[in-house]
Amino acid sequence: MKMFSVSHKTAFVVDHCPYMAESSRQQVECDVLTKSRAQGVIPLAPVSKSLWTCAVECSMEYCRILYDVYPTNKLVNYIVSDSEFHILNSWRQEDQSTHELMAALAAVGPPNPREDPECCSILHGLVAAVESLCKITELQHEKRTALMDTAERVANRGRIICLTNAKSDTHVRMLEDCIQETILEQNKLAAGSDRLMAIQQCELVLVHIYPQGEDTLVSDRPKKEISPLLTSEVHSVRAGRHLATKLNILVQQHFDLASTTITNIPMKEEQHANTSANYDVELLHHRDAHLEFFKSGDLHMAGSTSRDSGLKETVTLKWCTPRTNSIELHYCTGAYRISPTDVNSRPSSCLTNFLLNGRSVLLEQPRKSGSKVISHMLSSHGGEIFLHVLNSTRSTLEDPPSISEGCGGRVTDYRITDFGEFMRENRLMPVSESAHDPSGKLPAERAKAQLERHTRYWPMIISQTTIFNMQAVVPLANLIVKETLTEEDVLTCQKTVYNLVDMERKNDPLPISTVGSRGKGPKRDEQYRIMWNELETLVKTHAGATDRHQRVLDCIVACRSKPPEEEERKKRGRKREDKEDRTEKNGSKDTDDKSWQDSDRLKGMLDKEEQESEVIKDSPDSPEPLNKKPRLSTDEVQPPERAKGPVSLLSLWTNRIAAANSRKHQEFAGRINSVNNKAELYQHLKDENGMEVHENGKASR
Amino acid sequence: MPTVVLMDVSLSMTRPVSLDGSEDFQRKNLAVHGLTMLFEHMAANYRLEFTSLVAFSSLWELLVPFTRDYNALQEALSNLEDYDKTCVESALHGVSNIVQQEWGSSCPCQVVLVTDGCLGIGKGSLRHSFHTLKQRGDDKKFPLPFPFPAKLFIMCVANAEELNMTDAMENLEELLHLNGGEGQIFTMDGPLCLKSVQTMFGKLIDQAYSPFHAVLHCGNLSSDVQVFPRPEPVVVDEEVEPMPRTVNTDLEIVGFIEIGDISSPPVISRHLVLPIAVNKEVDEVGTGATDELEEEASASQMAGKSPNFCVLLHGSLKVEGMVALVQLGPDWYGMLYSQADSKKKSNLMMSLFEPGPEPLPWLGRISHLGPISEAAENPYGEDDSKSPFPVQPQIKRSYAQNVTVWIKASGLQTDVQKILRNARKLPDKTQTFYKELNRLRKAALAFGFWELLKGVADLLERECTLLPDSAHPDAAFQLSHAAQQLKLASTGDSQYAAFDHNIVPMHTDFSS
Repeated sequence: MKMFSVSHKTAFVVDHCPYMAESSRQQVECDVLTKSRAQGVIPLAPVSKSLWTCAVECSMEYCRILYDVYPTNKLVNYIVSDSEFHILNSWRQEDQSTHELMAALAAVGPPNPREDPECCSILHGLVAAVESLCKITELQHEKRTALMDTAERVANRGRIICLTNAKSDTHVRMLEDCIQETILEQNKLAAGSDRLMAIQQCELVLVHIYPQGEDTLVSDRPKKEISPLLTSEVHSVRAGRHLATKLNILVQQHFDLASTTITNIPMKEEQHANTSANYDVELLHHRDAHLEFFKSGDLHMAGSTSRDSGLKETVTLKWCTPRTNSIELHYCTGAYRISPTDVNSRPSSCLTNFLLNGRSVLLEQPRKSGSKVISHMLSSHGGEIFLHVLNSTRSTLEDPPSISEGCGGRVTDYRITDFGEFMRENRLMPVSESAHDPSGKLPAERAKAQLERHTRYWPMIISQTTIFNMQAVVPLANLIVKETLTEEDVLTCQKTVYNLVDMERKNDPLPISTVGSRGKGPKRDEQYRIMWNELETLVKTHAGATDRHQRVLDCIVACRSKPPEEEERKKRGRKREDKEDRTEKNGSKDTDDKSWQDSDRLKGMLDKEEQESEVIKDSPDSPEPLNKKPRLSTDEVQPPERAKGPVSLLSLWTNRIAAANSRKHQEFAGRINSVNNKAELYQHLKDENGMEVHENGKASR
Repeated sequence: MPTVVLMDVSLSMTRPVSLDGSEDFQRKNLAVHGLTMLFEHMAANYRLEFTSLVAFSSLWELLVPFTRDYNALQEALSNLEDYDKTCVESALHGVSNIVQQEWGSSCPCQVVLVTDGCLGIGKGSLRHSFHTLKQRGDDKKFPLPFPFPAKLFIMCVANAEELNMTDAMENLEELLHLNGGEGQIFTMDGPLCLKSVQTMFGKLIDQAYSPFHAVLHCGNLSSDVQVFPRPEPVVVDEEVEPMPRTVNTDLEIVGFIEIGDISSPPVISRHLVLPIAVNKEVDEVGTGATDELEEEASASQMAGKSPNFCVLLHGSLKVEGMVALVQLGPDWYGMLYSQADSKKKSNLMMSLFEPGPEPLPWLGRISHLGPISEAAENPYGEDDSKSPFPVQPQIKRSYAQNVTVWIKASGLQTDVQKILRNARKLPDKTQTFYKELNRLRKAALAFGFWELLKGVADLLERECTLLPDSAHPDAAFQLSHAAQQLKLASTGDSQYAAFDHNIVPMHTDFSS
């Protein structure tokens, strides 16, 4: 169904003229006497509903099913007509509920039989319905605004369901002509208005209601085209049960619904609690839930039965004793909201309550071969019940190569548990639409930003890291990734650092990986140097975020032990950095936070690269640098090393691998365009619009 | 997306191709050459695709059932025999049966029809099929459109001019039209030769069998991946948004959700996410040929041994029982999860949700899912005992809110009996009595069913007279109070018949 098909807007026009107060002559016995009390008591006379009551309750049932299956974007405008029209609600989403409509209907009350029939007409309501169909809905407005220059794609179609007691076929024709004229008139008006839209297609469904035992004065007529704008169909129905069935069929036709009967539902008997009988419950839902049956022609095999003289079809599915649990991820090709046809019958409410309590039921499709095929599942989510369609055919993805056979499949020391912890920290939650973030970012964007912060330094395997294998580092590692730090956080981080200093002083062993190195691995002081380097790398990637982050880095730099000459070099480096920092701060005060973060991050990465190359240079046994990280400094760093004279076998090998790896990634655009190996960053900030150009890494082929 | 290759083996395919060179080719040879190229490409770059081979003339025959064994397909191709005339309709019926038997009717398929554009003569010809299209009963329908979503690629071992001389092109276009426009007709450019047939099949490969490569990102962690089968463009609503949506080549993880919370969501397609080694085709450093070979071998070994983010992600998703929510494009999302094929083999899978801002009602708008760190209190609880999902809809559905429906007489009778049952147990059941009474009152007012209000009032009054002597005196007071209130409401007097008004128990005090 298209978004703006005729089903987007339904105007109900219900006749409220004096003759609707007439009795339907269908009597309901509401005083059911039990045998023991029957003596001497005169039972109450049966009550009978008026034509109005029948029309209202059947239209409410139509709306109930509609709102159950389509809670949004399928809208009803309810209009009552007597000597004038009464519009009971609007197209607005908050007005779309049966409760709202019932309250409005109660205010209208039943028709007044003493009112002058000459002044009353269904026409008032029909004219109001056409006017109402011209009014723009929230969704139409939203889409028109979103589509801008292609706003004409938003169509305006609608349906008028008129429940009335017409006098004759000629009367019906007069009503049709009147609607046709009103549409033309209103369309002219709509052309000159922003809040109105011309009607492109209108479907009139006229239901003539007459009391039981009378002959109809109006004949049934299938849908016919009155004009390119208007089609009309007439249904002549007796009030009561027949009207209810008719509207039930109509709601299915109008909204592409189909019926499924769940059979074999075990249910405890009211009288004998220890026995259970099997019940059937009929549900309505979008007909796509039966798509597979329709296409395969399996419909009759699936136990389809015709009821009500072939007017209505239902597919029977068998209840399977619940065996599924919520932790299982079924391959589900569709999920459709349901509405029970007989909502407050005991079997229906037992089934719906069972599901609302959080249990799921698998459903079995009976097949001619007698084999069992689980084809559907009923399950509730947040108080709504859905019929899930499960895939029951052969998968085209069967027998795929296992992930352990592919890239990275032979590595055995992934930090699976740590990444699991990472995932828990990066779980999502619904954030209310009203909660506005000062940065103007949507919650999902903030979630991505958090992922970015948390992964600035994240070694994937255990042997690549020391700090993440140390319990003592955990407090700092958890805090430093935060967007902002409190004074207390900084204190905790500093404590962590002091604790590490303490450990070093006491010469505590470190969990350094000995993979890839001969003998016992590096010496203790070497181990600590590796650890400090790694910690510094981690903190540096965040140091630019806030002053407090920077203070944590300062603390590490101040506390860590270093060979004297390296100390010296570092100091020089920092000074230079500071200078850069200041100029940058002065230069871009008015740019937004994001570019701040980015520039700092990039700088952090640059620093890290420097750092890593140092690691290689100074200690051949140090862990390999992250090979997934972009390599910003290339051969320029290497030559001094070669110049140093004798080279170890390992560094020869490492250089070779590094050279091979460096060929495996695309060169950075910045470096390609650089002048003297210097690329200008944030050129876009100079542009007036400053729009971020999304760059597609690879074109899809 | 399984592929059926439908090969024309009619006599016309044996027509020799006029070439000035020494080689003597039939059109069939060219077709086989093209298909060989296709199979070789698939074996190398698309090897998970299931393909079957059907040969047809006036009859059709399934030569190779769906397989990933491209050698078998190749072999069948080299043993083709020549038969009589072309009959496309029956062959398409065959394809329809073969596909439905194997994959059901919802699995999208690709049909590659290889023909020379001679579409048969007389009865059974495509021309004849189209002539009779409108005079057919339900049992003899034309096989197109297929019951399953299908793309039809027509490979003509002929050039466009040749096809345009007859009505062949017209008929082929009609065929495509009947398939809902899904697919394409390929013809050969220039003289019929090996080169032009290669060009034609090359276009098909680009169009339908090029692997989909993407980069999976999770913050700064990333991995190059192949997504198989290729995600196809999706049209959501052709009226409002006629441009098909395509999956980005950058797949960005937004965050993580428990499997129980995502709760078997409906998906439009499923894909394997296979990590791949980055392309090493640009090898500028001039090393010797032998050296290169060595490097090649060590490179594939290294690919297995160097850590890959996909493997890490897969492992943790499996252990934790979670899925990763991944953004595929603007307002389009999917999920990554571990899928076990057997006890030992498992894989990283990606399922695509219906495009749109809110594909799963129980998650709410995806763009409004934020990090839990923003909440004052962890919504999952300290011990993971809670969950912020599912998102509750604003209005409860009818089955969750005790609605009143009296369409069937039994519904009304049940509601009246409920009131009477409670009436006999007054004053113990005072609360329930009034609750049920008010429910009935509201519905009767909304439906304009005032007669019922009077009737129930009469019933209550009668109950009052039938009270046994042992009854609590309060019972009589409450019954007559309730009856009176119902009668007042049945007059429609706005003071008593307001919908939101509730009848409250009469205040009595029998304690003294």
